[in-house]
Amino acid sequence: MRKIGLLIIITALLWSSPVWGKVYIDINAPAFQRFPVAIPDFKSLDEQDDTEKLSTKFSNSLAEALKMTGFFRVIDKNAFIENKDEAGITADTINFHDWSIIGAEFLIKGGFQYSNENLSIEFRLFGVVEGDLIVSKKYWGTLDEMKIMIQKFTGEILLALTGEPSVFGTKIAFTGKKGKTSDIYTINFDGSDLVKITNNKSLTVLPHWSHDGKQLAYTSYRRMNPDLYVMDLSNKEVKTISRFKGLNLSGPWSPDGSNILLTLSKDGNEEIYMLDLETKKLNRLTNDPAIDVSPTWSPDGSKIAFVSNRSGSPQIFVMNVDGSKVRRLTYEGRYNTSPSWSPKGKVIVYEGVTNGSFQLFSIADDGSNFVQLTFENGGCEYPTWSPDGRYVAFSSGEKGKIRICIINSNGLNLRVLHEEPGMEAIYPTWSPRLQLY
Amino acid sequence: MKRNLKIAGIMLLVVSLSFIFMAGCAKKEVVKEETLMAQEEKAAEAQAAEKETLSTEQELAQKALEEKERLLQEAAAFEDVYCDFDKYDLKTESRDTLRKHADWLLNNTGFQVILEGHCDERGTREYNLALGERRSESVRDYLINLGIDTGRLTTISYGEELPLDPTHTEEAWAKNRRVHFVVVTEKK
Repeated sequence: MRKIGLLIIITALLWSSPVWGKVYIDINAPAFQRFPVAIPDFKSLDEQDDTEKLSTKFSNSLAEALKMTGFFRVIDKNAFIENKDEAGITADTINFHDWSIIGAEFLIKGGFQYSNENLSIEFRLFGVVEGDLIVSKKYWGTLDEMKIMIQKFTGEILLALTGEPSVFGTKIAFTGKKGKTSDIYTINFDGSDLVKITNNKSLTVLPHWSHDGKQLAYTSYRRMNPDLYVMDLSNKEVKTISRFKGLNLSGPWSPDGSNILLTLSKDGNEEIYMLDLETKKLNRLTNDPAIDVSPTWSPDGSKIAFVSNRSGSPQIFVMNVDGSKVRRLTYEGRYNTSPSWSPKGKVIVYEGVTNGSFQLFSIADDGSNFVQLTFENGGCEYPTWSPDGRYVAFSSGEKGKIRICIINSNGLNLRVLHEEPGMEAIYPTWSPRLQLY
Repeated sequence: MKRNLKIAGIMLLVVSLSFIFMAGCAKKEVVKEETLMAQEEKAAEAQAAEKETLSTEQELAQKALEEKERLLQEAAAFEDVYCDFDKYDLKTESRDTLRKHADWLLNNTGFQVILEGHCDERGTREYNLALGERRSESVRDYLINLGIDTGRLTTISYGEELPLDPTHTEEAWAKNRRVHFVVVTEKK
């Protein structure tokens, strides 16, 4: 993990933003159109020669970051009509008509100073229609920290427009299977910083983040039985959590971090249990001769969705956290598995077979609003929500070349997060927000 | 003359004494010899007997080992038990196969079995870990019904992670939906 420690990035609110009334746009609505934004090249504020072409580098990097969020349509620079030499980066030096006429709703202006390895960038986000400054920030650091500054300001833009920052400060853990063995890896939301976490020389599957992102639970066959372990990511110390005969399948941690869900077969068939990590008390939640597996928490921790084949084929069920009030959620299709409950509400995504391949579906926790999210040729499996509830990561592809992909929660804007020859990238699990920078 | 006689007398005495002495000694030595021989003989006999026992034991152990080896080879050829897609109930032909395996296990008590449950690639991976476990549980329960001691049976599921045939055909999938027997010698 790369730690940024050389120069603390200081952010400053340059101007207050009184004009922008906090009317957030519902970016998850099916009718949502991506924000059209223009990002002209940044201005060198100290009148020095831009020998490293930073001016273009900064605007392009910011455009990439905004595209990655899936909520922006970045307008081609060739369409710009503004007179670069006359225009400045403050509202009084911008002719907003130049921008509205090319279809921009938002304009981002930036300026920088760079000398002796020290870099400062200031960013301003304007609403083009009103010509108002929505948010502005200045960051100081080194050139190496440019990416962090850009991702931080992208977070500010999203916060200003939608009420929630970006998820650049998150990771996705997954299982990388090569041949007959597999290990756990983590990777940043932007696809950087791939790290191999385990080295077990056996099958190691089903990573699950602790609520604070400091630990990972997973199931490994390293002692010839699928046992449940928890690794402290700061020192790689591994604790054995559950070693019953048969399955000890890792499941998600409770929203408050006190409990972990797991699937055990110790009592003769597969049942879902809740383990109190403090007291080590084990609570059996399901009680059915059928297979019960793959639990997921509702965001308030009061309910659990899971998979059971008690009605003949695998379907998704919901129960209270004490195991009471079990009800079937999915009726569409013969094979529905891998539920993941949105951390922001009532939506559950899952995988189901349709026309011979797995695709992702979403459904409200009362069974309404059934929607097919993906239509990928290679199939889509094992969905996992981002902590802001705006994205879903999943594994996709033919056997042998399975990759991790990300879509927006409305199914659009598919992006490949990780693809590696000879590796099946499976079981993605999204981290909570982390302090990466 | 009287002096000569005296000397002769002494000599006679000495001679006879030494005779007596020698006789005594000789007799003792003979006894001693006999004892030694008997002991040696006994030791040798014992040694020979021991050797014989050892070689029989070694032979027996060797034979047992070979027999065990033969049985393990026999068991390694145990036919897999196959399941239908998303199913873990035992088909009629599976029951026949399992009865054969059970007979073998009843006849050869020094062995334990690891029942490996496997699935084809078409299901969901995590669900298949449960399904594979369930398949091996079905086989385990059937074997217990046929009189196999539960302590000899272990289940382990590999889900769809270790296919026998990695191709993507109906035939491959049918082969991969299996419970595989791994017979091992009993842990002491």
